[in-house]
Amino acid sequence: MNAAPTPTRKYDLSFARYVYQNIDGGDRMAKCMQCGTCSGSCPLGDQMDYGPRKLFMMIRAGMKEAVLTSNTIWNCVSCYNCVVRCPRKVPVTYILHDLATLAVKEGYEQAKTAINARFAKAFWWSAARWGRTDERLVTAIYYFSFGLSQGMKMSLANLKIAQAMVKTKRMHLGMPHKIKNGGDLKAILAKAAEIQARDH
Amino acid sequence: MTSEGLRSQTILVVGGGIGGMTTAVEAAEAGYDVILLEKSATLGGRVAQLSRYFPKLCHPTCGLEINFQRIKKNRRIKVMTMTSVAGVEGTRGDYSVTVTTTPRHVKANCTACGDCGRAAESMVPSPFNYGMDTVKAAYLPHEMAFPQFYVVDPSVVGTPEGEKIAAACKIGAVDLAAKPETFQLTVGAIVWATGWQPYDPAKITTYGHGRVPNVITNVEMERLAAHDGPTHGKILRPSDGKEPKKVALIQCAGSRDNNHLAYCSRICCLASMKHAAYLREQYADAEVDIYYIDIRAHDKLEAFYRKIKADPQVNWIKSKPSRIEVAEDGGPMVCGENTLTREIYAKSYDLVVLATGMQSSVKAGAPAAEMDDYGFVVPHDGSAGIGSAGVASGPLDVSMTVQSATAAALRAIQAVSGVRNASEVS
Ligand SMILES: Cc1cc2nc3c(=O)[nH]c(=O)nc-3n(C[C@H](O)[C@H](O)[C@H](O)COP(=O)(O)OP(=O)(O)OC[C@H]3O[C@@H](n4cnc5c(N)ncnc54)[C@H](O)[C@@H]3O)c2cc1C
Repeated sequence: MNAAPTPTRKYDLSFARYVYQNIDGGDRMAKCMQCGTCSGSCPLGDQMDYGPRKLFMMIRAGMKEAVLTSNTIWNCVSCYNCVVRCPRKVPVTYILHDLATLAVKEGYEQAKTAINARFAKAFWWSAARWGRTDERLVTAIYYFSFGLSQGMKMSLANLKIAQAMVKTKRMHLGMPHKIKNGGDLKAILAKAAEIQARDH
Repeated sequence: MTSEGLRSQTILVVGGGIGGMTTAVEAAEAGYDVILLEKSATLGGRVAQLSRYFPKLCHPTCGLEINFQRIKKNRRIKVMTMTSVAGVEGTRGDYSVTVTTTPRHVKANCTACGDCGRAAESMVPSPFNYGMDTVKAAYLPHEMAFPQFYVVDPSVVGTPEGEKIAAACKIGAVDLAAKPETFQLTVGAIVWATGWQPYDPAKITTYGHGRVPNVITNVEMERLAAHDGPTHGKILRPSDGKEPKKVALIQCAGSRDNNHLAYCSRICCLASMKHAAYLREQYADAEVDIYYIDIRAHDKLEAFYRKIKADPQVNWIKSKPSRIEVAEDGGPMVCGENTLTREIYAKSYDLVVLATGMQSSVKAGAPAAEMDDYGFVVPHDGSAGIGSAGVASGPLDVSMTVQSATAAALRAIQAVSGVRNASEVS
């Protein structure tokens, strides 16, 4: 029943069906009536290239590549304004996040280069490894993902803030803080990966 | 045609709006006894509170007056105001209905001379004007109230003012001692014609009704435009009485929305277009923006839509606004996405009107009646003894209400005649 994603295709007329059936919350997306509440409620609405409403219409139109390379899926800040207000109870946030996951899976360039993609990757690395986000490591991985010289530049530009944070104990030097029972976290993540592989 | 086991051929109509009045006169003029119960002090329902009717923009006086005359002339109709249903027992042809009355404190010999009103001093919120102004504690519900009897507000009962009001009546029609009553009626069929109430705008928190100044609802707009309303028919914004020149009309305010009313109320698009017409008639320089998901002007009403569309000062913005905020000037600012241009807008207005929908008056359930998912009463065929008419059965405009009410009269007649289904009538 699942239409297989076809990464090489710009248009994919089975894309809407794929989204309805496979993307988290996608079944409710079928109920979207294009009222614009989501895009109008979005704190980043005017910084998205499409906004959720238009993105959903593009999914229906089979514009797979444009959807999965848009910045919309990366700019969602999970404020849930749209989810709370949507008159059709479409879980917009879940859909955008899962589309981002799909874009990563299918290897789109934007899924590697979008700033929020880079940041999400750094954030996840720290969270999965230590059970916490370590500000130094997350920012370092994020900055240097742009290359060595760009990374240096960004680090230096923010040095003052970092120093102030260390002084007020908002950031620490030394080994990253870890949660207790890191093994349990690993088990949880492994199980989550297993469920995802099974259900998706 | 009458079959055994049917004890009563009387038809009970609950609700005296345009729907219930129509069912009552249609059944009575066909020779059946009707009891018409109305919860408020007068017949007419919500229609009496409209300024004018779409699509012809005639005054509600017209349709109501004809029905009042027909009711007055017909001895088969017994009208009971300030009365409602507390319980129903029995089956088709033999229902025992428990009804309760609230005291009007004015007897049926009232001549509506107004002496009691002149004697009253304290003011109470006017339900007719949705609380936008106040009336004297002894009042005529509205100009064309039927029956033309005053009402004495319970707040003055037992006070010196109450005594003064009673003393002012030369014919002794004021009865401060009247108490609520409960009694039984035996009827053969029941028609629920309880109509609607406006959806509570306070529940649509993002639209700021009651919080952002000059955000009103469509029913309040009807009163502002009505000659007997709080502004005597001149549309003025509530905060400072200024003439509104930039007005936003917002469709589907709480309608077609799973967080509020999941259904379309069917009439709000037309009602808002009528409001655009009211505004443009009064103010040649007014700009009206209509925010909509899609325009639903069904059937013959499409012509009215085209007429309003021809007005260059009425703008159509395809968008369900996401929120209404307070602008820097203190007035309402409408925010959202224009879905045709993808522009994210934030526009200030003098006045914003929320097109709130019609919610069933008996959403909690009408005794012994079958309700649909949205709280409306299912309009059964004549084989059932309990049916519905007008907006009690679902969102309808006045002409569709009258059609449904006429159908309900026929079904009720079939019910009390023992006809099992429509094909048996010939
Ligand atoms: C803003 C707005 C504008 C509108 N403008 C138009 C227009 O221009 N043209 C048009 O065709 N339609 C218009 N409509 C629709 C119109 O108001 C309805 O079609 C009409 O009111 C339906 O009449 P009704 O008798 O079914 O209900 P109602 O008018 O609601 O009457 C019901 C009656 O039942 C009574 N009642 C309620 N509960 C009980 C109870 N438990 N016991 C006893 N009595 C009870 C009520 O007091 C009321 O008198 C408008 C609606 C809105 C919201």
